[in-house]
Amino acid sequence: MKKVAYYKGCLASLSAKELDISTRALAPKVGYELLELESVTCCGAGDIHEAEPDYYLHLNARILSYAEATGCDTLMTVCNVCTLNLRQANYQLQIDTGLRERVNDNLEQVGVPRYLGTVEVKHFLWLIAGESFAELQAVAHKGLKGLKVAPFYGCQILRPSKLMGFDDPDKPTSLERIIEACGGEAIDYPAKIKCCGFPIIQAREDTALAELIQPIEQAKEAGADAMVTPCPLCHLSLDAWQSKLKKKTGKDFQMPILHLSQLVGVAAGLTDSELKFRRHVVSVAPVVEKLSV
Amino acid sequence: MQVGLKIWRYDAKTGDRALKEYEITAPEEATLLDCLDIVKDRHDGSLAYRKSCRMMICGSCGMRMDGGAVLACKTRMYEIAQAGHVPVISAMGNLPIVKDLVVDMEPFWQKMRAVDPYLRPRYDQAQERENVVSQPQMDVIHKESLCINCGCCVSECNSMESDPDFLGPAALAKGMRFVGDPRDGATIERLERYSEPHGLWDCTRCYFCNERCPKGVDPRDAIAKLGAEAMKNGIDRDMGARHAKWFVTSAKTTGWLRETELVPKTQGIIASIKEVKFAMGLAVKGKVPPPFPPHVAADVHESRALFDLVKAQGRDGAAGIVQGERALGRIEAHHEAAGGRDPYNEPDSAPRPFLPSEREESEGVAAT
Ligand code: SF4
Ligand code: SF4
Ligand code: FES
Repeated sequence: MKKVAYYKGCLASLSAKELDISTRALAPKVGYELLELESVTCCGAGDIHEAEPDYYLHLNARILSYAEATGCDTLMTVCNVCTLNLRQANYQLQIDTGLRERVNDNLEQVGVPRYLGTVEVKHFLWLIAGESFAELQAVAHKGLKGLKVAPFYGCQILRPSKLMGFDDPDKPTSLERIIEACGGEAIDYPAKIKCCGFPIIQAREDTALAELIQPIEQAKEAGADAMVTPCPLCHLSLDAWQSKLKKKTGKDFQMPILHLSQLVGVAAGLTDSELKFRRHVVSVAPVVEKLSV
Repeated sequence: MQVGLKIWRYDAKTGDRALKEYEITAPEEATLLDCLDIVKDRHDGSLAYRKSCRMMICGSCGMRMDGGAVLACKTRMYEIAQAGHVPVISAMGNLPIVKDLVVDMEPFWQKMRAVDPYLRPRYDQAQERENVVSQPQMDVIHKESLCINCGCCVSECNSMESDPDFLGPAALAKGMRFVGDPRDGATIERLERYSEPHGLWDCTRCYFCNERCPKGVDPRDAIAKLGAEAMKNGIDRDMGARHAKWFVTSAKTTGWLRETELVPKTQGIIASIKEVKFAMGLAVKGKVPPPFPPHVAADVHESRALFDLVKAQGRDGAAGIVQGERALGRIEAHHEAAGGRDPYNEPDSAPRPFLPSEREESEGVAAT
């Protein structure tokens, strides 16, 4: 069992609790003991980076510092946006020692330990598609029984690739490999690397919905039974805003959207109370039915 | 070497469209542009594409290879040909196609013009001495100054695809180039203008522009700098700006985002009432956490204290973003990837960018 520091981020603590619950249930089965960070805050998303960029850097430095204090070399995330924000800040602090000194002096003044730069930020997807792929294959025994799953990556786990670097940003393969390891069939469609519209879904709803409809429509046309995403923000817009798409376009997709931990969790035999499908807006019942025959 | 290319041919006048395959012989150091020249010279003189400098400075030769925008004169073909891959070449996206690989750049220039892409000096009389701009002041707009107007960033911009009126990455990066210039006198007016609908708050942060830009401009980062400058100058009426401000308030009061209050804080009370029915639907599923008691992070006083400390140090606005740029600039594109995997080393992955000099060097080492 490898110990990793676990940063769940805002969504998994609040509206996407099912992501946190299924991740905690799944992690030990694929070889990870999660050490949850208690004294941490929001990573700021792109928002604090834009509104108060220096504060963004300090908030993330504080998270990295508390991760380092656990003695783990890996800070595990379950959200694309957290992954980009933390990795970006981490590179800045690791490479620019002058900047790190200044940030550390500030951290110290408010009682946070200095950050030495020893932590690597990795999304859960990268762990199970990479170093723990063998463990994943071993637990995915219950299988997805040929379920047709459309992988949706979202943006900030692929781009900018110089900060992310796990998948080829234009032809990623990690979700496909996981779907197949779990006994599902990975559906291919062009919009799987595009934007779900979430960052502007409140401020520019029309533009966001025009972005959101592409992956759902293409996945549906390609015959997907469900979509899976490694990002709770993508999950929220894909799942909850389908009703708005229906209102706007008349198209009622009824496309079940699974978090990565839920998809693997189903294959690994997690229970209902660990998967928490009831918390989804679009019903996952058709998927559950398909798998129980 | 033998190079295979599939090229989307198109004629706007007739509407004819066809994917044509070409097989050519080219020198090993050939770029995509060199290969197109060979096609045009020896195989099919009717092929249309743009070029001028052949050295990544004129911005003429933007086009798509396998769906992603590239500069043809920057793209070496050796590894692609070695791998036996036959790439699909097509015109850039988000711009109307005139013929084959030539797009109409007019919408691009329109948006450029809309941001006043020239210095509007702060002084109206000649200065007595020359106006010296310090290096740190230049650093703020260094990346933005590298733009060659090629349009590669615009090609895959997700917001522009959904909203053709969006100013887009190149024009906004150009805007930042002048907002950050200490000699410019129209900063506030510019920020007001760029903050209007279809402006900087319409960016969906898909990061395609950073991924595609062949010159390292990183337009998304330039847009973030504009946002930061707008907020610093109190230009924050837009819903996007209010959304961003609420994140700051959340982080320093409860630590975590107070999602429930995000809609009214962003859209205002009246507009958010219209959202009630939608929100009720989510609430049934537990998607709307109750506002009281708010979920508070442990030791959140540290986060609040950090905010006060950082604010007192005055690195707000673009300066807060620029301070990290030098470090990010030093990340090698081929850095050892997290997780120990190399993105170019998978069976299906894109060929690794190649320079002839690199190959000779490694071969030289192997020979000795
Ligand atoms: S990050 Fe913004 S400007 Fe850049 S491509 Fe995406 S939507 Fe367009
Ligand atoms: S920002 Fe980059 S990709 Fe966009 S037009 Fe300028 S040089 Fe080209
Ligand atoms: S020909 Fe000038 S940039 Fe390619």
